[in-house]
Amino acid sequence: MEIRHYLRAMNAENIKEWKIELTYRVDFIRGLFEPLIFVLPFILYGIAIVGGKYSENLEKLTGTGDLITYTVIGYIFMGFLETAVWGMGFALRKEQWYGTLEQVFAAPVPRWVYVMGMALHSTIHQGLIILMQSVIIYFIFGLVLDISGILPSLLIIGIMMISLYGLGILLSSLVLIFKEGWIISEILYSFIIIVTPIAYPLAVLPSILQKISMYMPTTYGITTIRHFLIGEVSTFTVFDAVLRLLVIGAAWVIFGLFIFNIIDKRVRNKGELGTY
Amino acid sequence: MNSFYNLSIISAEIKKCLKILLCYPMELVFWCIFPIFWAVPFIFQGNALVGGMESEAFSDLTGTTQFMPYILIGAVLNTYVLSALYGMSNSLREESYWGTLELILGSPCSKIPILLGKALNEAVTSTLFAVMQIFICIIIFGLDVAVNQILPIMLIVILLMLGLYGLSIALAGITIQIKQSHSLIHTIEYLFYLFSPVRYPVNINPWIRMVSLVIPLTYALTVVRGIMLLDKSLINLWQNVVILLAIDIGLIVLGYYIFFYIEKRARKSGIISMY
Amino acid sequence: MDNIIVSDLTKKFVKKGKRKLLRREKEDILAVDHISVKVKKGELFGLLGPNGAGKTTLVKCLATLLIPDEGTATIDGHDIITDPISVRKILGITTGGERTLYWKLSARDNLKYFASLYGLSSKDAEERIDYLLDIMDLKEKQHQRLEKYSTGMRQKVSIARAILHDPKILLLDEPTLGLDPSFSMFLRSFIKNDLNKKEGKTILLTTHYMDEADQLCDRIAFVDRGKLIVVDTSKNLKRNVSKNEALEIKCIGNIDKLENFNAHIKNKKNYTKIRILHENTEDIMDDVLKDVKERAKILSVNVTRPTLEDVFVHLTGSKLEDEHE
Repeated sequence: MEIRHYLRAMNAENIKEWKIELTYRVDFIRGLFEPLIFVLPFILYGIAIVGGKYSENLEKLTGTGDLITYTVIGYIFMGFLETAVWGMGFALRKEQWYGTLEQVFAAPVPRWVYVMGMALHSTIHQGLIILMQSVIIYFIFGLVLDISGILPSLLIIGIMMISLYGLGILLSSLVLIFKEGWIISEILYSFIIIVTPIAYPLAVLPSILQKISMYMPTTYGITTIRHFLIGEVSTFTVFDAVLRLLVIGAAWVIFGLFIFNIIDKRVRNKGELGTY
Repeated sequence: MNSFYNLSIISAEIKKCLKILLCYPMELVFWCIFPIFWAVPFIFQGNALVGGMESEAFSDLTGTTQFMPYILIGAVLNTYVLSALYGMSNSLREESYWGTLELILGSPCSKIPILLGKALNEAVTSTLFAVMQIFICIIIFGLDVAVNQILPIMLIVILLMLGLYGLSIALAGITIQIKQSHSLIHTIEYLFYLFSPVRYPVNINPWIRMVSLVIPLTYALTVVRGIMLLDKSLINLWQNVVILLAIDIGLIVLGYYIFFYIEKRARKSGIISMY
Repeated sequence: MDNIIVSDLTKKFVKKGKRKLLRREKEDILAVDHISVKVKKGELFGLLGPNGAGKTTLVKCLATLLIPDEGTATIDGHDIITDPISVRKILGITTGGERTLYWKLSARDNLKYFASLYGLSSKDAEERIDYLLDIMDLKEKQHQRLEKYSTGMRQKVSIARAILHDPKILLLDEPTLGLDPSFSMFLRSFIKNDLNKKEGKTILLTTHYMDEADQLCDRIAFVDRGKLIVVDTSKNLKRNVSKNEALEIKCIGNIDKLENFNAHIKNKKNYTKIRILHENTEDIMDDVLKDVKERAKILSVNVTRPTLEDVFVHLTGSKLEDEHE
């Protein structure tokens, strides 16, 4: 009974967010194309550096030399990090900005339910953006993908999302108490982007960053997705990747909820809820 | 008397903007570091693709095999674009959010010193960011900056800023008119990012190269990279400097007219108080 | 039978002061200072006090939005600290502030969203929303975005939102603040007649409008600087000073104080209002008028029965600002 109530509340949050978002049509359409603008320089720069679309060194490191496909798949699927950092991270701050946070918090639903409602919304939104980009890039650059890898890739995304949701819950609470919360999000975001093998394999990172990378869910997510779609060779097996994703996911969710609850208490103790 | 009055307005505006800026110390630190941070993946990517820090193919397009300093210079100069686009029109948007924009536009003083104050404040802070970024580049990435290069680079940076502030004055005007100007500002940012050689040589594609010719950042990047990476002097690169100057004049005139046209219209239609 | 029992509830806020060399000065502000009060089932109870008296903080504690530092309260038997979810289920609240709804959504969409948060099934929600939009006379504009609504209409939606799940108990924080007289009148009658009398809801209402409290509330609590001063019916409170009469002088001129009389002086936009409570105003009338005349131009002189505000000033020494004109 309670679970059904919570699920309905999540869905209501999702629908409400769509309705608000679609009132800003220009922003919505811009949002669909925005990630492309950040992917294209990586592709064009890559081509300029190797003088073509094929890199011998990349093939040596990853088993695939097609730099465009390699980079594009990495970047497109990193889009789900946006869900955690911006979509969920700003879920509560957004309500604060609308002025409705207190109204929402006075309703008989645990607070993390809103954040998960936002996660639902943001994941669907991000999925749409990723689909959109895949189609555009397919037509511009003509990617060659292993179709049979799509289903297992979706599965991997699903498992990767567990950790990202943990991160999102953590950030949504931090953003609530720090005036410059976007900077925390931006720092985490930029850092994860650097230590995740998106446009380059881990081998080129300094060893300390390589070690940190082994704790990032995105490392296993992106590498395994590329393994399924274009046959990237990695240092770990698919089984290992799934296992580590599950462990990291559990750890991040527990940590996220732990911090979330502490901050929720603190905010209600200090009365910082309405002030922004 | 009059010029003294205007100067005091400029300094008051700068003081106010700096004080507001100092309320966000994390933001200051952020802008000193992150534009470089964002460029780092390109350096690793280059290394992964060619298996080293030099690329012959890159040199065919740019004249230098060294892609790392190429990327770093792009990142530092791009800070000026971000700061001009977001800083100044954001500053006006915030004023309208706080309700102070109406008071400013309704005050008896000329609006030019206020805009100048905002622009100067922007220039000072973004130069502070750029200098900090260059220090980081020197320490972490071993970027070479020779003392005799500093003066010509500063000249180019000033020319770049003039054009950018012309543009942002125009945008400031548009911000008064339409509430959701950030869409337009984002679009301009993306045009600058994609169609000027911030991250990659634009001659890789003739279409991109054509568009890049109308963007002032293209010329500034060409000259600064020419000086720092190709050992050229300003005299070798004079054509770029002249074109940059011409674009500056165009943008300033455009900015001036758009701002005052819209301000007048806004006062007639009363759109400012509708925020 | 008591629906709301507040026992010894205290809420402190830490106000950050100036930054000293190493530490920032901190100052505790007692927003709610050991308040105990009971509200009976079906009662319309008013919390009356000036801005900053602590009314809103108390309401937010009861709504589980704030955790009290000391003491607690129960709402219909559920503790606000240990059982917040049960409390939220039976409470309906409106909080002050300009934006408390999604301005980018229509009235209907706002209500639908909150209906899901309160666990209404979609069929129940549709019926309830139809009913509420109907009685609030918002049916015609139900699909318009709230940004196009007037303040009064938005407040109607706010109230509808608060009673969506048909709560037993309502907390209304300044429900008529900043509204047109016609909207205020409608809301007051709706609160009193429909919600309280007809549906039998227990209502705790905060206000700084004296006449609102006087008109609506069964019992009134005076709150000042976080403390509960007195709780009683309006009638009894007035009886407190009923042996007195009130001398009211309206004048033009700058008067802050009358040396020889205990006067309550309000400087309004166009005039100054002086009120003096006395057992027999005729005794002091001449002296007062003489004193005032020296410094100001008298517009009118009246002798009236004491109002609730006189009682408040008498008991607390504080003034209520922004009186409803």
